Parts: sequence; structure tokens; C-alpha cells
Amino acid sequence: MSEMAGKLFSWLNNRLPIVNTFERHLSKHPVPSKVNFWYLFGALAAVTLIIQIVTGIWLIMPYSNTEEQAFSSIEYIMRDVDYGWVIRYMHTTGASLFFAVVYLHMFRGLLYGSYQKPKELVWIFGCTIYLAMMAEGFLGYVLPYGQMSYWGAQVIISLFGAIPYVGESLELWVRGDYYISGITVSRFFALHVVALPLILIALVFLHLVALHEVGAGNPEGVDIEAHLDEDGVPLDSVPFFPYKVLNGLVAIGVFMTVFAIIMFFFPEGGGYFIEMANFQEANPLVTPDHIAPVWYYAPFYTMLRAIPDPLGGLIVMAAAVAIFFIVPWLDRSKVASIRYKGIYSKIAITLFGVSFLTLGYLGTVGVTEIRKIMSIICTIIYFAYFLLMPIYTKYEKTKEVPTRL
Amino acid sequence: MQEKDKTRRKVLIGLTSAIGISGVPFAAIPFIAAWNPSAKAKAAGAPVKLDVSKMQFGQQIQVSWRKQPVFIVRHTQESIASLDLALPKLADPNSDDIVEPYKGLNPSRSKSPEYSVFSGVCTHLGCAPKYFPEVEPKPWDASWSGGFFCPCHGSMFDIVGRVFKGVPAPTNLVVPPHMFEGSILTIGEDKEL
Amino acid sequence: MILYRNILKNIPKISLLLLFIFTSHEIVSAEGGPCKDYGDCDEFKYSLNDIDSLQRGASTYINYCYGCHSLQYSRWGRVAQDLEIPEDIFFENLVFDKSIKSGDLMMGAMPEESGTWFGVEPPDLTLVARYKGDDWIYSYLRAYYEDSSKQYGVNNLVYPGTAMPNVLLSLQGNQRLVCKDIPLIAKNGGEKRDNDGNTIMIEKCGFLQVQDGTGSLSKEEFDELIYDLTNFLVYVGEPIKATRERIGWYVVFYFLIFTALSSLLYREFKKDYKK
Repeated sequence: MSEMAGKLFSWLNNRLPIVNTFERHLSKHPVPSKVNFWYLFGALAAVTLIIQIVTGIWLIMPYSNTEEQAFSSIEYIMRDVDYGWVIRYMHTTGASLFFAVVYLHMFRGLLYGSYQKPKELVWIFGCTIYLAMMAEGFLGYVLPYGQMSYWGAQVIISLFGAIPYVGESLELWVRGDYYISGITVSRFFALHVVALPLILIALVFLHLVALHEVGAGNPEGVDIEAHLDEDGVPLDSVPFFPYKVLNGLVAIGVFMTVFAIIMFFFPEGGGYFIEMANFQEANPLVTPDHIAPVWYYAPFYTMLRAIPDPLGGLIVMAAAVAIFFIVPWLDRSKVASIRYKGIYSKIAITLFGVSFLTLGYLGTVGVTEIRKIMSIICTIIYFAYFLLMPIYTKYEKTKEVPTRL
Repeated sequence: MQEKDKTRRKVLIGLTSAIGISGVPFAAIPFIAAWNPSAKAKAAGAPVKLDVSKMQFGQQIQVSWRKQPVFIVRHTQESIASLDLALPKLADPNSDDIVEPYKGLNPSRSKSPEYSVFSGVCTHLGCAPKYFPEVEPKPWDASWSGGFFCPCHGSMFDIVGRVFKGVPAPTNLVVPPHMFEGSILTIGEDKEL
Repeated sequence: MILYRNILKNIPKISLLLLFIFTSHEIVSAEGGPCKDYGDCDEFKYSLNDIDSLQRGASTYINYCYGCHSLQYSRWGRVAQDLEIPEDIFFENLVFDKSIKSGDLMMGAMPEESGTWFGVEPPDLTLVARYKGDDWIYSYLRAYYEDSSKQYGVNNLVYPGTAMPNVLLSLQGNQRLVCKDIPLIAKNGGEKRDNDGNTIMIEKCGFLQVQDGTGSLSKEEFDELIYDLTNFLVYVGEPIKATRERIGWYVVFYFLIFTALSSLLYREFKKDYKK
């Protein structure tokens, strides 16, 4: 029996690079021996992606993408389908936590220079994943066809209207109707469940292939490839299995504990994960008192709001996301990690972090005079962090990076 | 590495895997359970009630229960008495081969001696058999004594839904749970069952 | 430089602190609360394991509210089951239309054409506790007051100009806005006193007070009735809520154990490469 299995396996292995790929990318893949918790969020993002795909497939089954039934089919899932509530809350909690871990993952990249040569492509694929996620999240939020789905989509689609000349016809074309109707919902549904997931999976694959080609970084910014043992394995590395896997297991344990606490005790996340107004069916004639985007878009929404001109707002918002793509060429520092960068970089990233969080907060509350000023200041800090990066990273005094981890 | 450490590792690996793997079936529960008939499907498949006292003797009607045809036949005394005529032709006159809810209670196979209640889905490939109550020679049976004939593949059943020998259908037509409260027949629910 | 490394380590904490400073006071200053003229909503703590309360709430709902407000996503049999009411007793006492089956949705008891009796169609209330909040409901139903300028002679502090008449008037009695003498509060939070040591009183208006003897329930009994009714609406907004929280403990406990074990295992293996 085992002989048969062995034969079958070698037959397969001669035709598919199973053992080779497994060893190269999983079991023996060398990873830096010393990393910190910031390096775990990538794995957590992968876990969340899998959760989203599996729960998503199960939600497609009872969901109905028509104007008449979209909203009630969500309540059908929550009440009539056995354990439907578990699956739906997993998906809503997963969506928010996906963004949370990706934001932390991206911040890690900025902290430790994970975009520097030769990791530019890893970074760019990552930014594209983030972009695809934003689209995916937005489309998904429209599907329950609640008040916030409707009015949130109304605001976002109106952004297209700000584009000169083609704006209005573009808006109409995106909706396929004169308001956000069942027609819009069903095309968003197709994009949300088929098109964007395919793109996301492909991008994640590329992100990982590129990463494994150039090797993972570390918080010291040390190039571990510079010191190899006689087999060509970096001296400051450990094999992915079992060390990294076990470390990941701990991270998954902590993450799933947080996930479960939110999902079972605070699934609405205080109105930030599922907004209260979204428990009311979409009504094109009644605008809710207070329209706020879901928390993960809030920083960009604040920037949009801070600019009085719609087109200007749109450009600023798009630029705020697009600017991430060119970070590898903005950073002129000789060192990768913030630990060895100079004081200006340290101040800059602190201010950036604070302004990003503040922008996020401001996006979830109504506008007042002082908040408006705050949003403008924070938007300026946000862009200054990137645009001044070539200057402060070039002229600041950096520390000597050790040669070994 | 010391022996003590090795055992410690083994115990920890065993415990972690055991806990990890034991969670899998629980995680699978929602995904498996979500495929059960939902409350909506169950409501649509709820028991059907109807008054059968208005039926004429010898009449057959069809009601829909869970979107499946269920036949109800009101027998005359003669037809019940002549059930034995077809006996030699039957494959399983006592319904020994299937799970029969009211076995041996009445010749009608139902809870009432006067009415038969059985599924209108042929046990061969799911067509609906047709009711031919007349006792007269038929193209498919020269000594026809009344019953059901399936136009799809020629399966034959007697007037209480028992299958003939030598036809494609393997078993008698299925009797669903039902009950009579006076002349009110409920299909799909039997409080005594 | 060590200082900066420390700062860097504490970025999350510092950010939160700065965020707090930024957002304190003016930035966070309240924009009119959901309970409008009532001020802060009264706090409501649901107790979904109190089956008696839910049963009383269901009974009040069906007797006083269901005539106009459907619960269209909820099924009769499910309510009976979750509220532990035997189905025959439930159908005997609470389901007035005898053609209704256990699995049917609670589609409301209003004839089609009556949709605009009150100027607006009475909304479905299955999810009201989720989009308005339980605090709001609990406050709203107790904040009706006499106002002869309105169509039904009543107005509401929580929802000024509400289209719904006070259907519980005979239970609560006639509530009015009154003025009261209350102690003047000093800036430090204490009562202001005059030179003789007597508390200074000022007159303030806008207090709700029920006229004695006009309602069949005492204030406490009425509050309890509204408590039960709100509790029922919280249940019906998410029937699985109590179960969800119960299962949650097991799941969290499971992951805590998993985390503990896997971190022990990780530490064990870490010895291999950490000198």
C-alpha cells in the first residue's frame, strides 16, 4: 500500500515540482532569525483572506441580489438559515479585521523600509492589493442594500461625477440606472464575488512570489544574504518550518481570540463595523442624519471632505492612495529600518501615524469648524510625510547598521 | 538535546495538534448546518390540511405537500373488498420491503379505512402515475382491476398504491405521515407518530 | 538616541495620547444627541435570559403595537419557541388570526389600504432596536406629553412631532411638561447656598410628570412595562443574540487555550536557535 502511494507520489513529482516547491517556499524557506511582532500581520492577512473567501462563498448561496430582496435576504441569513448569523458575522468582522491587519502590515513596511531595493515590486503588488481591497470592501458594503449601503454608494459614485466632461455620464453608466437600484446591486455583486476576488488572489500570489525571490526583511534592516553558510543558507536565518510556522500559530491564536470576541460580543463594532443605519432598508427618498463611511475608509473620506471643491477632493483622495506606490523612490536613506534612520524620519513617521489616526477619527464624525481645520492640517502632514521624504531621508544623520542580526 | 526536553516537545506537539484538530469539526458546523432546509423552506413545507368529506366515492385528488404530489383516494366498499383480486399480481402486498408507517392498520394503507394517502411520485424515476379506476381491459393489462399506471415507463400500482410484479418500479408508493381529525386530513404531521 | 528608540517603541501609545488630546473637548463636542429634547437617552440594559420579561414584552407588543407595526422578518413559531411558550398556548392567546401557521412571518395586522392613516406608513419594527438603539426606544416610549397643538393631542420629547399617537396613554396616564424648583448647581458640582446656608432654588421647565390618577399603572409599573417591551424588541432585532453571547465564551476560551499551548510550543522550539 505505502509502496503504491510512494510510486504515485514520485510519478506526480516527476511531472509537478511538488517536493521542490514545498521545500523552497515552505519547509526550508529561510527567514530572518530575529523579527518582531510587526512581521506577523502578513500571515494574519492571509488567514483573513481565506476566512473571507470561505464565508463569502457560503453567503452567496442564500443572498439575493435583487432590489426587492437584497435587504430581506440578509435578514433571512441572520434568522432563517441555520447558523447563517455565524457566517455573516464572520464575514463582516473579517472585513474590518482584514483592513486592520493590512494597515498594520503597511505601517510595518514604512517603519522598517520594506519597500527598499530590491523589494520595490513586493511593495507595489502590496499597494495594488490594498487598492483592490478598497474596491472589494466598497462593493461588498453595497450588497445588503441598507440605508448606509445606499447613501455610502451614492456619495462614492457621485465622486465620478466630479470628473470633468464625462463625469455625469460615467455616473449613470456605473449605476446603470437613475439611482442605485437592483441593477447596480447585481453588477456590484458580480464584481464583489468573482472579479475582484480573482484579482486579489492573483495579486497575493505575485506578492508572495516576489517576496520569496528577494527574501523577507527584518527590523534591523540587515541584509542576511551577505553572510551565508557553506550550503548557501544565510547564517542569520531559520527555516520557515517549524520556527516561523509556530510563531505564526501563536499570532493566529491571539488574532482569532480577538476575532471571536468581536464576532460574538460586539459584531456591530459599536456601529463602526456594521453601521446602525444599515439595519434600515435603502430608501432613496430619505437621507440618514449622519452619513459616515466604514472606519477603514474614514481617513480618505476626511481628506475628500476637507477640500471644498469636489474634483480637488477626488484628486487629493486618489493621490493619498496613489502616493504609496512611489514610496520606494521617495526614500533616499542609506538605511532601511527606522531604528537606524535619523531623527527627522522618526518625527515624520510619528506625525504621519498620528495624523492618519486623527483623519480616521474625523471621518466618522460630523463636521464642525475646528474639525475642518484639523482635517486640513492632518491632510497636509499626511502628504508632507511622503513628499518631504526625499529631503529628510537624504540629509539626516543615520546610524551604522550592524552586519549581522 | 536532553531527553526531558524531547518528551516535553512531544507532549506539547501532541496537545497543540489535538486542540487544533478538535476545533475543526466545530468550525465546520455552521457551514454544514447552513445547508439544512431553512426556516423559510420548512414553513413552505409545513403540513397541509384539507377537508376530505366532500370527496366522492372512488374519486382521486392530488394535493401538493413540499411541492410534491400526494394522492388521496376515497374508496368504495366494493373497491376495498376487491383489493384481493389483484393480489397475485403484486410484488410486495404487505409492504415488507419499505418503511411503512401504518403497516397492517387498514387495507387502505392509511390511518383511515376509507381513504388512501400516498405519494404521487413513482418509485422508479419520479414520474406521476395516473389514476385509472375502471375495472376493464386496458392496453397495458387485459385484466385491469383499477389502479395507477405510470405513462413514463409503464409501472403499475393498485388503487392503494402497491406495485405490480414485473414493472420497472421497485417498491410500493410511499405513504407520508398523516392524520385524520374528523374529516380534516393533515398530511405531513401525525401527532401519534 | 535611546530616547527616540523608546518613543518609537511607544508609537501606538503616544499616538493614542495625541489623538486623545486632539479629540478632547471641542473636537468631540456632542452634536445633538439621538434623544433630542429629552437630553441624554435613558440607559437600557437588555436581559435576554429573562424569559418572563420577554414574554410580557411580546404580549404587550402584540396587544398594543402589532395592530400597526409588523415584524416582517420574524416567524410566529420562532418567537414561541425562543420565548419558551408552548405553541398551543401561544396561538390560543397571542395569535388572533386563526389562519396563521407556525412558520408564517409576522406580516402585521393592518389592512392594505390603511397604510396612510397616520400620514406615514407605520414602519416595520423587526430591526428597530438595531437602527435606533434600545436606549432610544426605552426613552421614546416614556417621553410622550400632552400637547393640544398636535393631531393626537400628544407630542414627544425624544421624537418631536412624532406621527404616532400615545397608544399606552390609558396605562401611563396623562403626562405633561411641568416646571419645577430645583437647586442651583455651582460650577464645582455642589448645590449653591445663600448666606443663610439655604439651598438656592431656581425654576426650570420641561420636566415630564404624570397627572395623578389618570393612568392604570404606577410610574414604576409603567417603566417596567416599557422595559419588557424594549427587551422584546431587542430580542426580535436579533433573536440569536443570547445564544451568540453564550457560544462566544466557549469559542474565546478555546482560542485562549490554543494560544497558550502554541506559545509554549513556540518557546520550546525557539531554544534551538536562541543562545
